[in-house]
Amino acid sequence: MPAYEFPGGIYPPERKTHSNQAPLQAAPLPALVTLPLKQHAGNAATPCVAVGDDVKVGSLIAQRNGMISAHLHASISGTITHISNQAITIEADGHDSWQTLPPLDWRTDSPEKLLERLDSGGLAGLGGAGFPTYIKAQVAEHHPIDTLVVNAAECEPYITADDLILRSYPNDVLEGAQLIARLCGAQRIIIGIEDNKPEAISALKQALPQIQHPATIVLKVIETRYPSGGERQLIKKVLDRDVPSGGLPADIGALCHNPGTLLAALHAVRDGKPLVERIVTLTGETISAPGNYWVRLGTPVGTLLNSVGLMPDRLHQVIVGGPMMGTPLTTLNSPVTKTTNCLIAASVTELPPAPMESPCIRCGACEHVCPAQLLPQQLHWYARAESDSTLAKLNLFDCIECGACSYVCPSFIPLVEDYRLAKQRIRLKQIETAKSEHAKHRFEFRQARLAREEAEKQARRQARLAQHQKPAGGSTGNHATPEVDLRSLRIAQAAAKAAVKKAEKVLARAAEQDPKQRFDDLETQLATAQENLKAADARLAKARASTTQKETP
Amino acid sequence: MSMMHASQVGAAPSTAHLMRWVIAATLPGIGAMTFYFGLGVVSNVLLAGLFALVAEALILILRQRPVRPALGDSSALLTGVLLGACLPPASPWWLIAVGVFAAIVVAKQLYGGLGHNPFNPAMVGYALLLVSFPTYMTLWSPPQSFSAETLFNETLWAQVIGTLPPTKLDALSGATPLDAFKHKGQAVLASEFWASQPLPEGTLSAWRNVALAWLAGGLVLIIKRIISWHIPVAMLGSMTLIAALFYAGDPSHFASPLFHLLTGATLFGAFFIATDPVSAATSKRAKLIYGAGIGTLVIIIRTLGGYPDAVAFAVLLMNLCVPLLDIYTVPRPNGHSKTADKSMPEGPL
Ligand code: SF4
Ligand code: SF4
Repeated sequence: MPAYEFPGGIYPPERKTHSNQAPLQAAPLPALVTLPLKQHAGNAATPCVAVGDDVKVGSLIAQRNGMISAHLHASISGTITHISNQAITIEADGHDSWQTLPPLDWRTDSPEKLLERLDSGGLAGLGGAGFPTYIKAQVAEHHPIDTLVVNAAECEPYITADDLILRSYPNDVLEGAQLIARLCGAQRIIIGIEDNKPEAISALKQALPQIQHPATIVLKVIETRYPSGGERQLIKKVLDRDVPSGGLPADIGALCHNPGTLLAALHAVRDGKPLVERIVTLTGETISAPGNYWVRLGTPVGTLLNSVGLMPDRLHQVIVGGPMMGTPLTTLNSPVTKTTNCLIAASVTELPPAPMESPCIRCGACEHVCPAQLLPQQLHWYARAESDSTLAKLNLFDCIECGACSYVCPSFIPLVEDYRLAKQRIRLKQIETAKSEHAKHRFEFRQARLAREEAEKQARRQARLAQHQKPAGGSTGNHATPEVDLRSLRIAQAAAKAAVKKAEKVLARAAEQDPKQRFDDLETQLATAQENLKAADARLAKARASTTQKETP
Repeated sequence: MSMMHASQVGAAPSTAHLMRWVIAATLPGIGAMTFYFGLGVVSNVLLAGLFALVAEALILILRQRPVRPALGDSSALLTGVLLGACLPPASPWWLIAVGVFAAIVVAKQLYGGLGHNPFNPAMVGYALLLVSFPTYMTLWSPPQSFSAETLFNETLWAQVIGTLPPTKLDALSGATPLDAFKHKGQAVLASEFWASQPLPEGTLSAWRNVALAWLAGGLVLIIKRIISWHIPVAMLGSMTLIAALFYAGDPSHFASPLFHLLTGATLFGAFFIATDPVSAATSKRAKLIYGAGIGTLVIIIRTLGGYPDAVAFAVLLMNLCVPLLDIYTVPRPNGHSKTADKSMPEGPL
């Protein structure tokens, strides 16, 4: 099958051999983990344990809060020693005893059960923004999906986690892909992988023939060019479809997952293992045993790097993620999270700090490499001038922050930083302007909650009444009204259900489009719709109770 | 946040390197000019480069901007060198100073410094001098073969004191081939003109060799990917085409395309002036239009206008069009349908 082209792109030095020579290993168990409550897109999880509680690996310690959020589980067995509004700290007891969920079979168990498992397993996208997996898998409710694209391009320099995952667990990844394909209704799975991973490609080729059911799996080897692993770029490359601006892959019938997420999804379903560990590439010139490691979430970066032979005197900076899109760490106490795919402990010669920026000379290099075909140089200009309306016209929010423009800029202008700041500023502004709107929505929510509580109270009373009166028998009053009542209540309940679905869809879309946006308002609106639905349910129940009560004689 | 940079991994030069590469690539051209026109060429370039650095530093101090990084990017030096290379050999120091002032202070820094100047600074300086001091700007001595005499002729002394002895003026105002052809008069046919040996022995070949030396430097820049091929190719292509049209129409009065390509500032301009990224168009498509526009204007002004050479004016005119070109060649971003985005061409600016 041919590969299609996306525009732009760069060929930075790969530096992957540093970490892809050693086999996958397990990092030593940490004595202490700090688990941030927000390791995913959306709301932070709400702690459901107390200081002093004993937990096992896999015990639920914080619950999903709202729709766009994820559960959090203990990653070591031990005692909860600290809970802040940022994170939960656990001290290890050294036993590593597990608490798993009952195993499920992705082929036979019902989709609801499987989705529920992805949710209760705390799964979030392990590649990028940490988008909750169960939401993404539900996308089929709103969009017909024909193709699941497995994003194994891993185009950033240094990172080899997906490479090692595919070499070590080709069957599991493919099964995970089948699982997700089943949930979203895709009949076809395409694996997009760059041609610089020959071992992973041959491992996949061996595994492919056994796992061709229910969806057919196709392997597409593509040229190594950054950023072919961008969702839009990969979809263009393997499917020749353009994701519309401001749209989602789902709009064109595609869904994208990376191998790590698929592996974790399978483990959650088949083995009942919540997301408590992940594979992290540990690399850079200042560690002596670079490679890929199974790491428990919450492990402090410093401890982890020390366990693979960090040479502190040569260390210049630690980067989370790749050198193109990652961020430098300010402290080695930061923990590994669900989205940490790579840690680069770089020496100063390896990734030297950028020299001071000089003025833009309009060389156009940035424009030639931009995979989104934007005008980075003009974006930079207007981002610094804070002229947001022009930025919107220049499609700032189409920028995937790949950093190709910064990479080539001969003047060392931190272009992506400018864009991130501008986006952040615009997001805040949007929240600010919609403040009164939000207040109104919160008021509506309170009203809805009160109405629901009232309706439920009445329903309970009616139910009690019905029980008491049943043995006594006898009916008074007229039979026509409850019928009408029941019908209109049923209609109201259906409408409330539809409203919930709609609010869910709007929220899921918004969250997927811009996972860094805050969704409080949409979450409030969803909660209101849910309250309304509950109230409608209660009213219906009440009406039913009173009808039965009247009809029993 | 990008922590890898092409110029730090050796994949591409930084801005300062770009500038230095261009300066280095002027060496063949300047060398050839020196060979034919004497050390006055070198002194022009050195003086202009020095003045440019001084002017840049002074104005940055006045604007209270850091001086070191700006001088470090070598862009001012480059402007000085390019301007110096356009001037008649051993031009008076004050002429150079005025030109540099116009280039660095007016055309570059008053617009906000490197990256903000809409016009090519060297060409602003050159055009100003051409308009204000036409006599001094046409003092091209006839080329001579390299000898000690040409190396240290009296004109160098004239450069220092800033005036020329009137007796020398006549001897010096040897015309360039473009000048001569321009002034041949309507009655004279081209063939008669050339038969009359209008120029001193070797003038044509000297200018041609100088042009070829600039071409050599320019090719180095393209091979090293310091400049892209789009502007030079479009400019030379359109010049050839338009000149050929004129020539085909009336070969007895219009110069051949080859003559246009190998005389005057054509090749120098195509590789070293029109390609200045700051004042040129940015997208590939816009660059092609921009280059073609310069080429067309050069031939039109040379043939129908009042100046024998026209690279400076053509470049400045096209500089004016750059904002328009940039707006109308905005690429359609991924995922935007062809018809939907009516707002795009209105774009920024
Ligand atoms: S960071 Fe944005 S503007 Fe820069 S190349 Fe990538 S998509 Fe284009
Ligand atoms: S690469 Fe840098 S210097 Fe060149 S146009 Fe883009 S922002 Fe300007």
